[in-house]
Amino acid sequence: MTTTEHTTQGLTESGGDASHDLVPEELGLAERAAGEWLDVTIIVPVQSPEAEVREVARAIGGELDREGRSWEIIFVFDGVEGRALEEVQLLRAERGSQVKSIVFKSPFGESVCLTAAFERASGRYVLTSPQYVQIDPLEVGPMLAALDGGNGRPGADFVIPWRSPRVDPVLNRAQSVFFNWVIRQIIRGQFHDLNCYFRAMKREVLEDISIYGDMYRFLPVMAFRQGFTVVEVKVRHLKEWGKAGFFGLGVYLRRFLDIMGVMFLTKFTLKPLRFFGTLGGIFAAVGSLICMHMAVQKYFYDGQIAGRPMLLLGVLLIVLGVQVIGFGLVGEIIIFSQAKNLKEYRIERIYE
Amino acid sequence: MRISAVVPIYNEAESLRPLTAELTQALESMGVPYEILFVDDCSTDGSLRIMLELRKQNPHVRIVRFRRNFGQTAALAAGFDHARGEIVATLDGDLQNDPADIPALVAELEKGFDIVAGWRKVREDAFLLRRLPSIVANKLIALYTGVPIHDTGCTLKVFRAKVVRSMALYSDQHRFLPVMYASTGARVTEKVVNHRARRFGHSKYGLSRATRVLLDLLTIKLIAQFSQRPLHYFGLLALTFFVFAAFFGFVGLIGVEGAAKGDLSPLVSINEWELPTVSIVIVLITLVVFFVLLGLLGELAVKASGMHRRGTLDRILNELHA
Repeated sequence: MTTTEHTTQGLTESGGDASHDLVPEELGLAERAAGEWLDVTIIVPVQSPEAEVREVARAIGGELDREGRSWEIIFVFDGVEGRALEEVQLLRAERGSQVKSIVFKSPFGESVCLTAAFERASGRYVLTSPQYVQIDPLEVGPMLAALDGGNGRPGADFVIPWRSPRVDPVLNRAQSVFFNWVIRQIIRGQFHDLNCYFRAMKREVLEDISIYGDMYRFLPVMAFRQGFTVVEVKVRHLKEWGKAGFFGLGVYLRRFLDIMGVMFLTKFTLKPLRFFGTLGGIFAAVGSLICMHMAVQKYFYDGQIAGRPMLLLGVLLIVLGVQVIGFGLVGEIIIFSQAKNLKEYRIERIYE
Repeated sequence: MRISAVVPIYNEAESLRPLTAELTQALESMGVPYEILFVDDCSTDGSLRIMLELRKQNPHVRIVRFRRNFGQTAALAAGFDHARGEIVATLDGDLQNDPADIPALVAELEKGFDIVAGWRKVREDAFLLRRLPSIVANKLIALYTGVPIHDTGCTLKVFRAKVVRSMALYSDQHRFLPVMYASTGARVTEKVVNHRARRFGHSKYGLSRATRVLLDLLTIKLIAQFSQRPLHYFGLLALTFFVFAAFFGFVGLIGVEGAAKGDLSPLVSINEWELPTVSIVIVLITLVVFFVLLGLLGELAVKASGMHRRGTLDRILNELHA
């Protein structure tokens, strides 16, 4: 099942009183008049009935009020109910349409939460927050200021926090530092803290990048690879939910595969043969070298090559290389047959 | 609107004014309605400001600005999508193409062609790094695809808008446009054009493209000639490997010495060649099966997309040349 199906089938609007709760779907973004834009939409995926919804809304909302920015907050209940949902109902009674909620009947993950909430967001900036007050709310100001730009500098498109100093257990911190170091080596970006979800971005970023699966974590990486400017802001870390200990091999493996997927998709989507062709070419070249070596052995030194596993390895490498190139060719066919739907460029503005 | 001149711009601040002047002169001389469409690939050197000034002075100028840098193919694709003319002329923003060539290219197009490609017969570039790789690449392309175009890398080309919009343009395909269209039945020709030394800025290309061009070549052949029937392409590959397999099988049965002499007597006895060749045959047969399956997968992809683009292009071409 695809992401969009999840969001349409799996969500109900809480409270039943949808008229003032959600932005009408048919009101497309382009038609929305300038006055109807809000400054900031806060999106909070809720994954525990004990989530500090009221505290999050008060901390971030209060800070935004002080900055004089208009805001709304969207809570996405990812298959949870309970105390947090009741709190949100109360909040809605107090604040009215400033507080919105989306309820999934079963958990779909943060990526789906973000996508569903973004479809209903009317802020020019989107701020995602974990379900508890993880970062000092005073940091909201500097993060949004980085999006604004100023002093002749264009604003960033994406601002991610760098928790420093961190307050979670040393063991978790070490693993996190290691993970971020590996990613820095792979993508040659300068991200020190991808695991913190207190992020601010312009809405263009989410309009441009479709996220699914575990991509939520790698949203800054995707944005960076697609040419958006991503900046880091050092923030004060207040607390961390979650238990101390090793994350486990499965977690590492999943994250590694994710980052490979991100790399592949951002670089080679439209040119699969560049990837498969290079990979297959390397295999085939190594195989050919081995086979040539065997031939020299056979003819010039009269060696016995028949039973040698080296010969088998060479032949198999060539075959593997050719097969990988074949995959790339099928990839090209798939992309070509879909190319009408894939627009490679995004236009900022047309000056007639 | 008769003619749209599409110019991808990436950091060409100094060239823009002379370019616009030359373009205006060339297009005015033709006496038909025209526009100049700049596609700004998110320049960072203030090119946009100059373009906006030019637009104020010259009502024929339109500008499409990208949100970020997407590369030349994307810029041309955007140009094709937004051009209003029946004829689209593309040229580089660096003044190396001479806008004065456009009228002659358009005249050639009006003789009944769909695409006229510029051919820089005399090039003002460094030989070893720019011209030699280009000559080799073009020879390869012509040989492999059977479309004899001398200079696919020249941006100065003239297209019929209807024809060029019938196929999506992505990746680095812009240099292969004449080849792709020629193999789908469009009428493609070339004409010698002027080429000038670079006056401002620096080249945005390097030699690192060699492997990419080779891989792109495989793609172009596949897409241009077999995009409707991928099974034919993979079937041919499978057949090639099958021939090899048969050869090795033969050798394995009678040995190299026997095969060379045409002596079939070792057929019944085990010989020293049998073991290695049999393993090679097994592996090659695997490849044959693999390629046939890949071809079927390709057919699935084409069918699932409901792609009948070739059909649309055929119809357009029929209307144009009826």
